[in-house]
Amino acid sequence: MAGQVSRARTGCPGARRQDENISRTVTGRTGPNQRQRRTVTGVLSRMWRVVNVFRVITLGYAALLILRSFTHYAHPLAGLIALVVMIAWSALTIAAYSRQSGRRPWLIGIDLALSVALILSTRWIDTVHRINTGSPTIPGIWSCSAVLACAVAGGPWWGLGGALVVSGADLGERLGTLSQTTFTNIVLVLIAGGVGGYIIRLGLQAEAAVDRAARSEAALTERDRIARSIHDSVLQVLALVSSRGRELGGEAAELGRLAAEQESALRALVSGASTEPDADTGQIDVCALIETLADRQVTVACPATPVRLPAPAARAVGSAALAALDNVRRHAGDGAHAWVLVEDDGSSVRVAVRDDGLGFEDGRLTAAAAKGRLGVSHSIIGRLREVGGTASVTSAPGKGTEVDLRVPQ
Amino acid sequence: MSLSEAADRPAVRTLVVDDHPIWRDAAARTLTEGGYLVVGTAGNGAQAVRVATATLPDVILLDLNLPDLPGADVTRQLLVALPSARVLILSASGERQDVLDAVTAGASGYLLKSAEPAELIDAVRSTAAGHAVFTPGLAGLVLGEYRRLAQTGHGGRQASEWQPGQPVTPQLTERETEVLRLVATGLTYPQIAERLTLSPRTVQNHVQNTLSKLQLHNKAQLVRYALEQGVKLD
Repeated sequence: MAGQVSRARTGCPGARRQDENISRTVTGRTGPNQRQRRTVTGVLSRMWRVVNVFRVITLGYAALLILRSFTHYAHPLAGLIALVVMIAWSALTIAAYSRQSGRRPWLIGIDLALSVALILSTRWIDTVHRINTGSPTIPGIWSCSAVLACAVAGGPWWGLGGALVVSGADLGERLGTLSQTTFTNIVLVLIAGGVGGYIIRLGLQAEAAVDRAARSEAALTERDRIARSIHDSVLQVLALVSSRGRELGGEAAELGRLAAEQESALRALVSGASTEPDADTGQIDVCALIETLADRQVTVACPATPVRLPAPAARAVGSAALAALDNVRRHAGDGAHAWVLVEDDGSSVRVAVRDDGLGFEDGRLTAAAAKGRLGVSHSIIGRLREVGGTASVTSAPGKGTEVDLRVPQ
Repeated sequence: MSLSEAADRPAVRTLVVDDHPIWRDAAARTLTEGGYLVVGTAGNGAQAVRVATATLPDVILLDLNLPDLPGADVTRQLLVALPSARVLILSASGERQDVLDAVTAGASGYLLKSAEPAELIDAVRSTAAGHAVFTPGLAGLVLGEYRRLAQTGHGGRQASEWQPGQPVTPQLTERETEVLRLVATGLTYPQIAERLTLSPRTVQNHVQNTLSKLQLHNKAQLVRYALEQGVKLD
């Protein structure tokens, strides 16, 4: 409750760090031209790590295929050189992509160009017969790494673009003959580029949303802390003006009265726990509801801890108490003061409303109800009955009135 | 306090602790006008303890919202430094948990800052005489705290952990509950005395007891906590 909030004055140490991270922009549309991104950690780094891991695995697979069949190539030595180039390029890009500064658009462009070149070189390195009988390209699925790099750097459209380039190279390598395997490969590359890019964009957007939420929460906590301190100062001054004003009398007394009104309004606002139902339990803190009723003529006493009731019961108690206080204002006479006490005895919630006003004959309420004037009976007793509670009203002339509301928990 | 009484006895020594100079001066003026001796003022908790040790006040008027320490901690430190002093809490915002914490830490009473000067003067007199100053708000808090203790068991411990010799959760007698409820709904001690056909002094004692039991329980909890920590350090 409020007490705990007051202790959370240290603020949110994580806030500043999140502020630094948030400057990352999140859009696939900017394309690979994202040099300005200040990404240091988070989703994007992890995505690049995935690209690197994928590259290592596919390099191993390509190496296996090349080493198994390079003796059958038209130019076996060229096949091995191509493998060495792939190994060297993999090492270079992995090192480069691990750092934010290394994720340059031109490097990704070269990455893609090299993949295309290696795919097309199959035409020359391997034999026509083997190519026509469906042997894989020299880089094989390794060329997908460049497509993934495009997708991570620029989102779905860049991923798709990279995938189209690699697919085009695949088709070119087959001289336009579209075998089932090639077709499947092309579809897979397109899916990897498009879907991969899309998922990455979603991930970044989610990350940005979380960052924004955390930042606004931190800002709220800070604002709350500042507000509490300001409210305290304002309350002090208002209290001072009202008490000195009353002492001085005359116009100053009027100022004092105004200050006192604002003071109790502000105090109710500051201590204002939520009067909305809790999202999980659907319960409302009866104290929060009742505290809004406090003013110059009404003193509220509550426990320090929330007194929770299901929303309908809490609202019934709140409006019954309000009705009782309305009666005090209308019937108890000028200058009557009222006190409201909220209690929670473990099995029921009890709200007592007492005033020091004129009071009335005990029989008058029943008489009024019998005459069809439903005022108190309906607004107080009826409301409580609807939520399974009870209400009693006792009074005597000159002795004020006491209204006792009870709702079982 | 009548003039003759004031002349017979030495004036009550008071210390005003508040970080707002305007309020500090206003309170000091009210107290002086009321016939009390303002022996010092302080703007934060640490300073309050130093000034209290040096000036030996009878009653310390303490603002709950000090810049350096929570009100309950200041109360505790003041009473350790000067066990004979009594602490009267004055708070502008009336944060319920803060007020309850300060009162269970040993403060003798609590007033909202919007109280009339006459109320403040009365409250200081009662405090100096060793009586608890109960507003309806404070009575509601104390009632609520007893209920909370009753519901959570032995000061928040599981009932199964209870061992013989440990302090039992403090409870209100029926009479005490009745008296506290009447205080919380705005009746004065004489009115309560009339309604329950008791003497005003008995009413005063009942109210005082409810607070003393709570403070004792709080102290016992602290001592037990300290002992447990000490045992672990061995």
